[in-house]
Amino acid sequence: MAIVEPGKRPGPRIEQSRVFSKKFARGKKNGYAGLMLTSLVDMFTIIVIFLLMNFSANGEVLYMSKDIKLPDAYHGAQLERAPVISVSGDAVTFDGRQVASTDELVKGDVLNVPELEDALRDERRRYETIHAQDLEHPFRGLVNVQADRKIPFKVIKRIMFACNQSGFGNINFAALAKEGEGPRKVALK
Amino acid sequence: MDAEINLVPFIDLLSCCISFLLITAVWTQIAGLQVSSSGGPPEPQQKQEQTVDLKLLLTEKGYQLTMPGAAVEIPKVTSAGGGAAFDRRSLADKLKTLKTSLPDQSAITVQPEDAVAYDDLVSTVDICLGEQLRNVTVAPLN
Repeated sequence: MAIVEPGKRPGPRIEQSRVFSKKFARGKKNGYAGLMLTSLVDMFTIIVIFLLMNFSANGEVLYMSKDIKLPDAYHGAQLERAPVISVSGDAVTFDGRQVASTDELVKGDVLNVPELEDALRDERRRYETIHAQDLEHPFRGLVNVQADRKIPFKVIKRIMFACNQSGFGNINFAALAKEGEGPRKVALK
Repeated sequence: MDAEINLVPFIDLLSCCISFLLITAVWTQIAGLQVSSSGGPPEPQQKQEQTVDLKLLLTEKGYQLTMPGAAVEIPKVTSAGGGAAFDRRSLADKLKTLKTSLPDQSAITVQPEDAVAYDDLVSTVDICLGEQLRNVTVAPLN
């Protein structure tokens, strides 16, 4: 027969009861501390909803650079995937590869930019080769240009000329999308 | 009847969702302003007889809106920073008036000088698009 501590002992039914068994519990306490998970789940749910609202299935079309501060636009459309020409204060890059120096483009008098034109022609050739059998996606000559807000039009003009020479006639100027009334807020900023 | 829902797998799922969404989140929304360059193929207009050859010049003095038989100057204004800035509000008002008198007009040629900044060019194109002038062509002034 088992040796038991003298004193009050609960019966089998009381021992199994959640409420009344605590009255008879002695000695070591239960090591499990119950965490309140409800508030944690609430917080997670709010974060997921917020992130889902910001979610974009298109992903990043442009390479965002610290050197390029884009201007604001209130009536822009969504950018499509296309070759990207980036113009910072230092360099002109095509799909991340430097093709010219911005200083050279500012100083030069001629319009053409041979390196950029070659890169664009290669891109066009590549696209036409890949989509040779794909009649639903003909070459549209679409190119995205992202430039720092202070870049003079002289540089943009030469880039546009290079695009034009290579068959890229549809140019998308990249800008930061803003909500609102446009000119009313833009004016005199 | 006191059954508790096991929240641990639910928290695991939410953690995975949060990680995925944080990694793929796009924090800056980029817009595109589509323009044609001066040598590109012109967009066909449906009613050519009711449209005019509209040009918007960006010079160091300000905007100059020209059309056959008329020209409007919109001089620069003093900005909050003290420098001279293009008067975008007046341009929007002029284009709105023009659009009222020529509702079928959708083409405009923007011609900036070499020194005009990309910011001013984009803002001008943005204003044109905002006033339903959808076929914007950018051409050099000189």
